[in-house]
Amino acid sequence: MLAVETQGLTRLFDGKPAVLELGLVVPVGAFYGFLGPNGAGKSTTMKMLTGLLAPTSGTARVLGIDLARDALAVKALTGVVPDGLNLFERLTGAEQLRIHGQLYGLARREAARRAFELLEALELVGDADKLVQDYSHGMKKRLALGCALIHGPKLLFLDEPFEGIDAVAVAGIRRMLQDLVSRGAMTIFLTSHVLEVVERLVSHVGIIHRGRLVAQGTLDEVRASGTLEETFIRAVGEERPAPQALSWLGREGGAPEGT
Amino acid sequence: MSTRAPARRAPGLADLAELRLLLAWRRLRGRGGAAEGVAQLLLFAVSLPASILFAALVGVGSFRAARAPHGLQATVTIAAVLYGLWQTWTAVSLTMSERDAIDLRRLLVYPVAPARLYLLGLGTSIVGDPFALFWLVLLAGMLVGAALARPGAWILLLALELAIFAAATVAFIALAQETLGRLARSRRWRELAAATAIAGWLLIVFSSSAGGGGALRGALPVLRQLRWILYPAALATEAVERLYGGRPLASLPWLAILAAAAATTGWLAYRIGISTARSGGEAGRVAVSRDASRPGSPFPERFGPLFEKELRTLTRHPAARIYVLALPAVAAFLGWKAPAYLVGDLAELLRALPLFGLAAYVHLGLQVFWVNCLGFERGGARALFLAPIAPEQVLAAKNLALFACATAVFALAASAYLMVAGAQPLWVVAGALALEVGLAPVLYGLGNILSIATPRVAPFGLQRAGSVSSLAALAAMGITSGALVVFALPVMGALWLDALWVLPVAWTVLAAGAAAAWKVTLPLVGRFLVRRREQVLAVVCGEAGI
Repeated sequence: MLAVETQGLTRLFDGKPAVLELGLVVPVGAFYGFLGPNGAGKSTTMKMLTGLLAPTSGTARVLGIDLARDALAVKALTGVVPDGLNLFERLTGAEQLRIHGQLYGLARREAARRAFELLEALELVGDADKLVQDYSHGMKKRLALGCALIHGPKLLFLDEPFEGIDAVAVAGIRRMLQDLVSRGAMTIFLTSHVLEVVERLVSHVGIIHRGRLVAQGTLDEVRASGTLEETFIRAVGEERPAPQALSWLGREGGAPEGT
Repeated sequence: MSTRAPARRAPGLADLAELRLLLAWRRLRGRGGAAEGVAQLLLFAVSLPASILFAALVGVGSFRAARAPHGLQATVTIAAVLYGLWQTWTAVSLTMSERDAIDLRRLLVYPVAPARLYLLGLGTSIVGDPFALFWLVLLAGMLVGAALARPGAWILLLALELAIFAAATVAFIALAQETLGRLARSRRWRELAAATAIAGWLLIVFSSSAGGGGALRGALPVLRQLRWILYPAALATEAVERLYGGRPLASLPWLAILAAAAATTGWLAYRIGISTARSGGEAGRVAVSRDASRPGSPFPERFGPLFEKELRTLTRHPAARIYVLALPAVAAFLGWKAPAYLVGDLAELLRALPLFGLAAYVHLGLQVFWVNCLGFERGGARALFLAPIAPEQVLAAKNLALFACATAVFALAASAYLMVAGAQPLWVVAGALALEVGLAPVLYGLGNILSIATPRVAPFGLQRAGSVSSLAALAAMGITSGALVVFALPVMGALWLDALWVLPVAWTVLAAGAAAAWKVTLPLVGRFLVRRREQVLAVVCGEAGI
């Protein structure tokens, strides 16, 4: 059984393809890095796999379940940290985690116990009674990760999980994710722009460019003899030169007077 | 090498106005934008003829006052117009009007003086608000009436005084909103203070409503000085009375005081607004029990936490908290003043109206929560679609939590009314309860459809920002009116039968029917929500426009 398997997955916006004929294959137990330049279709793909977007055509099976047939069953087995986060700002951190766990079917007592453990693990216990709206961006990211984990999902979707988090927190989260995968606890499907971090984490890679999957396989297969960054730039076919046109930047008189 | 620097221009306002126009234009051109535009036009189309009609009445009063010999005939009319206009303008702005505003927090990053931004926000809040235009047309009616009665240069001074009166009122409303918003931000004792302030303020406003002088002032001469609390109207009246009396020079000091008061009020409102914007979030901790051993929710499985989450969100909303505390105060005031006026042929029915009115008003006061029930979720809306829960459960939890809040508010307000006004017949209490319960499924059921069809990201805590689209506001007016018409039909029947006890029975039957309809249609509305999830998420989770 595969954790994620898509066939011909396509999503059009106003007739223009954001994702085209995508054929993802994510083995169970893999740490899958889904890479692509901005606007390549990563978030659209993740939204389709988590049920936030309906595909225009094609099929997606998640943990062996047809997403179109039984979306609720898929949701119960997966955890998601979406790019824009999914937190209720007027709940405290502790309430957020507990209620999130309950929404995924945990009993109140168990949800509260797990919430406390997660708060400790994510170093948020000191802010447990603060409203989420008062959390910093990094704290919100960590809390969202806690929400995604609280019900013990089989598959974790992470959209840019390291964006806006300081290096120390990134290291902590990285260790936690690696530990989860190495224990066989779950499959992780992750998108990130930080190729160095991805290269150190993932076992499998997929590269999407302009809505199409241009490379997929184990990390070693995809990067061959080079680095992931070199492979990535080769795969997306763009090595942008440094901008030459902005010659007024840094030049005397470049800024309006008085600013 | 040196290059000539581009010429510096005053940064900001024009650019921001252009940005605002552009965003509004994009919104109108987007999905559902045409309907939104039509709704906005309709709101203006309704308010403009009405304002012209009332302006004509005010104009006639102004004409007579300008022609009248000096004395009571002139001063009473002027005071009545200015106090009445100030009172309704303020009350409507603070309770009903949902107009756009500038969120200073988003704009502080730009090199534009925040005070200019604030001024722009106040200005556009008038232009975009059909109610505000309504009051301005009334003032124009007053000016035209005076000009027709006694043409002359003094009309220019009158125009200036009325303009400053309008500015002072807008500034006063802004100050009240900023102060209440600030007070309602965190700790409960602050909310209590805010509610007390509102209740006190409402007492003054309602007390001043009877004639230009005010019932409270008439009853308690010691409190006559209270009128200065309503200083935009009080100062404008002093100035305008002297103008109508043919003493323009004598009006100038009052005009200067009014202008100074308007400027000071505006400056204070701005200071509070900018301080709130710069302070970031609430920075308050909430008293939360970590006791996980509390018994679970009485509701089944995942509905319980959904309901709890909704209830917590609602009870933490500043507007809802203040409403919970202020409405009982208003009800108590009604209990004190209203019964004396409720006499006549239909006295038995008339005496029931305050309680019936409270039963209906409680849903109107909480309208934003049923007309745009997804708007306050912001990013949290994603969780509702990501979690393995049926969409109709999400809507049901929202509706039931709001119903619990509304019923609690109604119970408090009705108790306060009964304590002051005295016991009412059983049919009145039962009827009011049936009305409150019966309206809920109608309004919430149709509100769910509106919330899905016309979602709008709603700011949490900023009172002045628009939380409901024009289309939703217009539709809500229609829904509320329609529901009230349906529930008014039994009143006709009861009067025809000369048996008022029929009312609670009929309303209970209507309530049962409405609840059944709500339950039967909920899965359909849930499917509608699933179909519309992309649009809803795009709006609700997106960034609010300025």
